[in-house]
Amino acid sequence: MSIFTPTNQIRLTNVAVVRMKKGGKRFEIACYKNKVMSWRSGAEKDLDEVLQTNTVFVNVSKGQVAKKDDLSSAFGTEDLTEICKQILAKGELQVSDRERQSQLEQMFRDIATIVAEKCVNPETKRPYTVSLIERAMKDIHFSVKANKSTKQQALEVIKQLQQSIQIQRAHMRLRFVLPARDGKRLKEKLRPLIKTVENEDFDEQLEMVYLFIVQVCLIDPGCFRDIDELIRCETKGKGTLEVLSLKDVEEGDEKLE
Amino acid sequence: MGHTSLEKIIALQKKTSCIRNLCILAHVDHGKTTLADSLVASNGIISSRLAGKLRYLDSREDEQIRGITMKSSAISLHYTTGGNEYLINLIDSPGHVDFSSEVSTAVRLCDGAIIVVDAVEGVCPQTQVVLRQAWLENIRPVLVINKIDRLIVELKLTSQEAFTHLQKILEQVNAVTGSLFTSKVLEERAEKDAEAQSSCTENSSADQVYDWSAGLEETDDSDLYFSPDRGNVVFASAIDGWGFRIHQFAEMYSQKMGIRSSVLLKTLWGDFYLNAKAQKIMKGAQSKGKKPLFVQLVLDNIWSMYDAVVTRRDKEKVEKMVTSLGLKVMSRDLRHSDPKVLLSAICSQWLPVSQAVLSMVCEKLPCPAEISAERVEKLMSVGARRFDSLPEKTQELKKESPAVQLPLTQEEISQRRELARQRHAERQAANQSAESPRSADAGGTSTPAGPAGSAVTGKNLTYALCAQTEALSVKAAVEEESKEHFVAFARVYSGIIRKGQKVFVLGPKYNPSLALRLPEGCSVADVLPSIPHMACCTVDRLYLLMGRELEDLDEVPSGNVLGIGGMEEFILKSATISTSPACPPFTPLSFEATPIVRVAVEPKHPSEMPKLVRGMRLLNQADPCAEVLIQETGEHVLVTAGEVHLQRCLDDLRERFAKIEISVSEPIIPFRETVIRPPKMDMVNEDLGKQQKVAVIHQVKEEQMKIPEGVQVDSTGLVTLTTSNKMATVGVRAIPLPEEVTRLLEDNVELIRTMEQFSLFAWEDKTLDINQKILENIQDFKVKLESNLQGHKWRGAVEHIWAFGPRRFGPNILLNNIEGYRRPSVWQCLEREKETERAEIRDFDNSIVSGFQLATLSGPMCEEPLMGVCFSVETWDMKISVPQAQQDSVDEDSQPSEPNNDDQSERSDMHETSSNRSRSRAEAAGGSVDCYGPFSGQLIAAMKDTCRYAFQAKPQRLMAAMYTCEIMATAEVLGRMYAVLSKREGRVLQEEMKEGTDMFIIKAVLPVAESFGFADEIRKRTSGLASPQLVFSHWEVIGSDPFWVPTTEEEYLHFGEKADSANQALKYRNAVRRRKGLYVEEKLVEHAEKQRTLSKNK
Repeated sequence: MSIFTPTNQIRLTNVAVVRMKKGGKRFEIACYKNKVMSWRSGAEKDLDEVLQTNTVFVNVSKGQVAKKDDLSSAFGTEDLTEICKQILAKGELQVSDRERQSQLEQMFRDIATIVAEKCVNPETKRPYTVSLIERAMKDIHFSVKANKSTKQQALEVIKQLQQSIQIQRAHMRLRFVLPARDGKRLKEKLRPLIKTVENEDFDEQLEMVYLFIVQVCLIDPGCFRDIDELIRCETKGKGTLEVLSLKDVEEGDEKLE
Repeated sequence: MGHTSLEKIIALQKKTSCIRNLCILAHVDHGKTTLADSLVASNGIISSRLAGKLRYLDSREDEQIRGITMKSSAISLHYTTGGNEYLINLIDSPGHVDFSSEVSTAVRLCDGAIIVVDAVEGVCPQTQVVLRQAWLENIRPVLVINKIDRLIVELKLTSQEAFTHLQKILEQVNAVTGSLFTSKVLEERAEKDAEAQSSCTENSSADQVYDWSAGLEETDDSDLYFSPDRGNVVFASAIDGWGFRIHQFAEMYSQKMGIRSSVLLKTLWGDFYLNAKAQKIMKGAQSKGKKPLFVQLVLDNIWSMYDAVVTRRDKEKVEKMVTSLGLKVMSRDLRHSDPKVLLSAICSQWLPVSQAVLSMVCEKLPCPAEISAERVEKLMSVGARRFDSLPEKTQELKKESPAVQLPLTQEEISQRRELARQRHAERQAANQSAESPRSADAGGTSTPAGPAGSAVTGKNLTYALCAQTEALSVKAAVEEESKEHFVAFARVYSGIIRKGQKVFVLGPKYNPSLALRLPEGCSVADVLPSIPHMACCTVDRLYLLMGRELEDLDEVPSGNVLGIGGMEEFILKSATISTSPACPPFTPLSFEATPIVRVAVEPKHPSEMPKLVRGMRLLNQADPCAEVLIQETGEHVLVTAGEVHLQRCLDDLRERFAKIEISVSEPIIPFRETVIRPPKMDMVNEDLGKQQKVAVIHQVKEEQMKIPEGVQVDSTGLVTLTTSNKMATVGVRAIPLPEEVTRLLEDNVELIRTMEQFSLFAWEDKTLDINQKILENIQDFKVKLESNLQGHKWRGAVEHIWAFGPRRFGPNILLNNIEGYRRPSVWQCLEREKETERAEIRDFDNSIVSGFQLATLSGPMCEEPLMGVCFSVETWDMKISVPQAQQDSVDEDSQPSEPNNDDQSERSDMHETSSNRSRSRAEAAGGSVDCYGPFSGQLIAAMKDTCRYAFQAKPQRLMAAMYTCEIMATAEVLGRMYAVLSKREGRVLQEEMKEGTDMFIIKAVLPVAESFGFADEIRKRTSGLASPQLVFSHWEVIGSDPFWVPTTEEEYLHFGEKADSANQALKYRNAVRRRKGLYVEEKLVEHAEKQRTLSKNK
């Protein structure tokens, strides 16, 4: 415009700047807000919906366009669209509020889903619903950390939830067969790891001289590795261990009566 | 009229012939409770001034707020007419469709019903329903045409018009009754025909002439209909407090005009007019343009009164009328500014509605002793079991009490009578052995004790059944110490119930033949061995139900309605109480509405879960029509009859039963994932091969799965993957199973589980004994599978089945198509005898199975279980032939179980903490002793991934759970009903007309996902004339591809570039993924330019 209007501030609205340093130079492109993440995840396929213009800048807010020489030396091409795509893919940007929010929400729900899958109500031996877990997580003011895996956070949150509601890791149902010789000794060692022993059985095996102890029991999944190791090492491979079910939950619908 | 004393009522209760049990039934808002109010007011319980405004029987807060009745409530009234005193047990029932279960209850307890019809609205859907219910329960109805004042004040009809209007309404009501009657007759006729057909061969000549009459003419139906001259119709305006039968006017005018009242009675309603000159009553008022008698003598008077009092407010004329009628009106009322007050003051004296209704009730409705024979039979024969089948069981009992046998055999009486008598006899026997001399117990009325008495009072006994129906619904009431008390709403059919009496509580499924195996003369007092659906308890308290209050009673004789306290632990919804175990439980109530509206309920604060569960249990007990269940997903689901009912249940839960805050949501909808054969047609039904692909840069259908490196997919869908340590390679192909096979697998879950167990035992060199029957079933199952898996592709497939999944018994198959690998088949339990050479199991066999189980448990589309997919393992190469396990000097003996052991650890690894996992990796990397452990885990992961990729290499589809939906609808609403169905993706399977009625029965299927709010919508759209019933039926593949984007020119034309409207499957998939917090391919903002980005403070 020819006439310079004396506005004291120029505000860029609806602009998200993606920056990239390459070849010692800083390049910027002007994009629409809330769109860059969609582009990166592949949901947005239309480049025009992401880029305000396919000009590459040195500074977007000042409107300084990057020089052609710099571009070709840094990117090895003069195709602006191609350069924009590169910057979009690798550049750094400030994640906008809505993008961050939706990401955290998604993680929150993911964590709740993992918790709901792993846990049961110890009274009814039935799982909690995801929405209930979500509410419980909000009640204990759990906040999602974006840089930690959801699984890890889920395991942490289970421990915290145990203080506010009745929740428990769903038990595994195991069965081991131990040779009698080591059986007694082993049993004492296993005792603290096992929640409940449902069935214990001494059995004379057909060809073998050993007396076997067959146990069906419930354990906390966290102890599985310990138990597994104990049995393998102590019995030198003669004891066997098998998982009857990974998650001991009630099945089928139940009518409340 | 003063308050009737309790003693009086107790005295009246003993006189069975003076008891009337009745309920008030009508469409919603036709004035049931208002009518009840005026009846209550006549007994002085509430002021007659308040009658019609107080709605005394609506005792709940929400009932008062909403202005509709939600719970039935009962009250006992006293009425004197012509020297006879009557006890009237009145039950006010709700009129809303959602509460028709309450109506069923009320109808069961009563002998008669008052049908109320709005004079303006006429016959409404619910009116038809209640008429049908009354008909089905065989109780006698009387009619009250209410709100006649509206004809005068609102519609401003002339008396002549009003008369025609009333006639029309009466015709409508009678038409409904008539159609009920016709359908019954036709049904009987059809039955007879069927019988005749079987016997047709013998006397075919006699049956030559076809009988066109259909039996309608032969059966007398005249006493079914309502007609004012029969005295079973009352014209009323309950709000203004007046009502009359034409009897009253007939008597009045017979004195004035000197015409015999019987003549007047006959002519007062109908096309008759008064010829003033001839002083004669003539026929044909309509054709001659004369005023019918009813208009002239009855309506005109009322009209002129309304005119004087309400419209013109003519003081003088009013006074004149009052004096001429001989009434006294308080000056306070005369001066009142609201004419309605004056009106009701006059009317309630002139033509009191309570008088008209109660006298009609006492005259026209039967007393409890006159229960119709059919009704007794219906009550006693449960469900499909024929009545005839019952007596044999009680036959033995008859012999057990020889004292009674003698008089019985002398008479030739119907089977029904006999039955009742046997009941009676049993009861006596029981009483005698318990040595409780209760003479009055024996019969309905005054029966002397002893066996001889039973013969004498045979007549009375005939209709008396030996138990009361605890017809349900625990009327929640009486709040004491913050604890809920249940009062059961019951009726004594026979005998006397006393406080402290020991009785049997028989559930609806109780079978008397079981109890009859008990030793002779076993009484209630004895401790019984547990018989299903039977409990023994003591009657704690008896109550007289007086609307909002309860009065304590000590005993209640037969024919009465009462409340029983202290039965919470024994009764669920409904039960039959008897002192004799041989009594069959009474037929369960027939509900017009079945529960269909499903919601998931959760406490606001998760720690209050136990309270919620307790509350839901109570709710389930208290409400006959609510169902409560916990689903496998852990959801607490509440099923109710409709939205209003749901609202009430939730209010009850919040305020009474659970006392916590709850939140309600749509229940989780399950899906299944499957693959199909590649489709031949595209979305616009064009052949795929011939189409020209349109190349638009960003619209080309991408290869949906982003296959990572190391996975090879060949053109036939064989996916090969190598474990991360490059030691093993698996190749898997996914094949869709034929639909029949999937169904077969679903149906035979139990068998598969048994087989699985067997092979588990075989694993450990043990044997599991399976009985011959199950073995045969398994054999059968195998044969069926084989017959369904025909064709080149499936050759030998059945023998090669490796495992089922998920959870080892699901509808997916793992096939062993590896060359040179023979493992014991899953059918080994069948060929136990043959015991061929023991097929060796490869190491890590179990890892493959575990991987398969994990893959089938959650599919790649939205982590829902798979269904109907066959994974065929085609290659399985191990770089190292023997795992390092051998190095560990493990004995050969434990070899088979060894790998099993290890891989389990890996399976658990999936669930392990990641810290644990990293540790195990470290072990593996270190190449320590245990390095084969993690390897089996890697194999599981590899297998799982391979299956998933193989699945993705095929055209994937979602499967939706489907409801079958049966809808009864009248012809006029069919169109609107179809509109609702098609809007919700429903598909009509068939429609039939029900014989003898104008009802259509439509069968349709509807996705569960679309069913939320369906019932309500369909009711709204059809104004309640169609009511659906939903039952889960099957899984169905959704036709559209969730990954579909338009690729051909036609598809573009048809769906546009985005094509987001057509894809139902995608919608479902995204909804599930969003719920689970999985990644959804979705733009945060659709249009970049159209977002609001300015922050608020600038």
